[in-house]
Amino acid sequence: MPPWLDPRAWPERVARLWRSSLQLRTILATVALSAAAALAVGIAIDVSVGDSLFDARRDQLLTLSANATNAGQEVFDSTSGGDTDFDTIILEAAGRILTAAATTSGGTSYAIQLIGQPSGGGPLPPNSSSTGLDIAAVVSPELSEAVADDTQERVHWQSIAITRADGSVVPGLATASPLTIQSSRYALYLVYDISDTQDTLSVVQLALALAGFALVLLIGAITWIVLRLVVGPVQRAAATSRRLAAGELDVRLPVKGDDVIATLARSFNGMAESLRGQITQLAELSTVQQRFVSDVSHELRTPLTTIRLAADVLADRAADFTPETARTVELLHTQVERFEGLLADLLEMSRFDAGAVEMEIEPVNAARLAENAIAQMSALAEQKGSELVLVASGGFVEADLDARRIRRILTNLIGNAIDHGEGRPIEVWVDSDADAVAIAVRDYGVGIKAEDLERVFDRFWRADPSRQRTTGGSGLGLAISLEDAALHGGWLEAWSAPGEGSAFRLTLPRRHGGRLIASPLGLPPETEEDER
Amino acid sequence: MNERILVVDDDPALSEMLGIVLRSEGFDPAFCADGATALDAFRAEKPDIVLLDLMLPGKDGIEVCRELRAESGTPVIMLTAKSDTLDVVGGLEAGADDYVAKPFNPKELVARIRARLRPAKPGTDTIRIGDLVLDVAGHEVRRGEERIGLTPLEFELLLALASRPEQVFTREMLLEQVWGYQYKADTRLVNVHVQRLRAKIEEDPDNPRLVMTVRGIGYRAGS
Repeated sequence: MPPWLDPRAWPERVARLWRSSLQLRTILATVALSAAAALAVGIAIDVSVGDSLFDARRDQLLTLSANATNAGQEVFDSTSGGDTDFDTIILEAAGRILTAAATTSGGTSYAIQLIGQPSGGGPLPPNSSSTGLDIAAVVSPELSEAVADDTQERVHWQSIAITRADGSVVPGLATASPLTIQSSRYALYLVYDISDTQDTLSVVQLALALAGFALVLLIGAITWIVLRLVVGPVQRAAATSRRLAAGELDVRLPVKGDDVIATLARSFNGMAESLRGQITQLAELSTVQQRFVSDVSHELRTPLTTIRLAADVLADRAADFTPETARTVELLHTQVERFEGLLADLLEMSRFDAGAVEMEIEPVNAARLAENAIAQMSALAEQKGSELVLVASGGFVEADLDARRIRRILTNLIGNAIDHGEGRPIEVWVDSDADAVAIAVRDYGVGIKAEDLERVFDRFWRADPSRQRTTGGSGLGLAISLEDAALHGGWLEAWSAPGEGSAFRLTLPRRHGGRLIASPLGLPPETEEDER
Repeated sequence: MNERILVVDDDPALSEMLGIVLRSEGFDPAFCADGATALDAFRAEKPDIVLLDLMLPGKDGIEVCRELRAESGTPVIMLTAKSDTLDVVGGLEAGADDYVAKPFNPKELVARIRARLRPAKPGTDTIRIGDLVLDVAGHEVRRGEERIGLTPLEFELLLALASRPEQVFTREMLLEQVWGYQYKADTRLVNVHVQRLRAKIEEDPDNPRLVMTVRGIGYRAGS
């Protein structure tokens, strides 16, 4: 199932879209506000149109009712005295009334009802007569009372709901007017079905709703277009600045017209120009710096080589000299070597600083690198009485490394361990897992104080200036090692406990560009038995 | 007979000092201080080995090396003040056999020179590798009737691989056997020279059949 189909993800997606899209927010807000306004206007129009329609219809019906009442009254008046066949009279009156009160649609019902007590003598019509109209169910008592109290022969009215034969309820209007039959007061009720008026109103309402909906859509579309006009340049500016940040220093925004967008574009282009200038300047400075380093390297090294050769030639003949001269030659020799090491380290460091380093990545067996480093340092270790022990659990495959740099780290770590190892054995641990290889150098010397441990990787920092050094360190060794490790995307970490010695652990990703999660070796490195 | 060594370096003090060291080791040094005249000096002196500074007035050391290599297989050892990858690889690709980074000590330099002057070990007369025939005594490689011109170093590299075809050589082993290094192993020396060797002897250098790469270990002779 694709993620967008998962309903659980929807709220978050919508929320993200809401946060990230200015257009969406603006369009939704505009549409919501205009929809509310359109709704309010629509309701107002609907109410007013409905009222007018109803009023016109009511006035028309009241006139009809008045005419019908007069027609009915005339029938009754003309039959006063004499004949007393009220059924016939009422039928005739009803025919007149219904003819007079006929409307275009719906249909009209009538009822004649006696109000109060019959008066006078003579025969009276039945106290009610109707076309199947149940007055009590349709008309409220207020209307009956209003017509009963009437003294001015007016037509009274009331809005009612009519239940049709099929069960549907439609709006209707009931009128009531007084009739005098044989001096008795009767009420003539006429009930009109005014659903045609309601139909007219519905058409108007539908038109209003459609117009409102179209208006809201139109407003949304207009907002979208306006937003595109305004936001478009901003988005272009954002995209351009992204490309600028990615290093495309030549990208510029098009400048059109003289409006605020054009001003934005002009300022942006000015900023880009200034950035390019400064970056170019920095790049030039960096090139100058690198050339300077390279020149210094050459210029210093040639005379140093001559001095070095001379010192070595002299040192070879030290046996021919007096003891003072021999010692002088020895000092010259060792210090030239030290100077040389210092210069090499300084140049290496400046290469790191200039970012002018290149790696020679090849598949290398870390255990063999460690063996090589141990062999290379064994003479020095013997001189100091330390034994170099390789602790490797075996089963190694190659890792993508720059062998020269890793070898340099290892000889540096082993050299430090020999310097501070107090003549005790020095262990070189190697282990690996699927993602990483680790090499740790462990000595059992005096160790490093906790506050000093934080500074061991600082440039030119020495744990104890008074300590005798045999490897002629420049004070840059660990700093360079740290840079070399970082170049591989690896870690170089230190551990120490005063009196127990120190451990430096180098962890490198097995594949170049890989990411480290954990080191295959502990810090300090321990065998499995020790861990238990 | 003392081996003649041509020192091409523009620094007079260093040249003189090198002369003292080389003479004390029993060599016969000659000097040239200008890149532009280096080739003439080479033709005149006919040295057994050339020590070539990379930064020279007149003509760049790498250019000198390329011209020199075009007409002779005489061993060339670069004296570089820069151990930067580009300079070293550039020199090696121009045909230099080895390099010594300044500042160096005299023993190191002499060891490098002797390694390059070392006579080929006597052994079987001819060795076959693929469709090539190596004439060990004559330092010659032939494919059928065609003679392939290899420098002594390239010949030794091929010989080392071909004499033990079942053996996979690590770069360190080759550095020790062909270049005479102990631990200081700049494997770029091997990489560059294997490329140069392949360019000369392989039918298709991109798809080598004679000098095969064993990934993660090194090289071996193909059959």
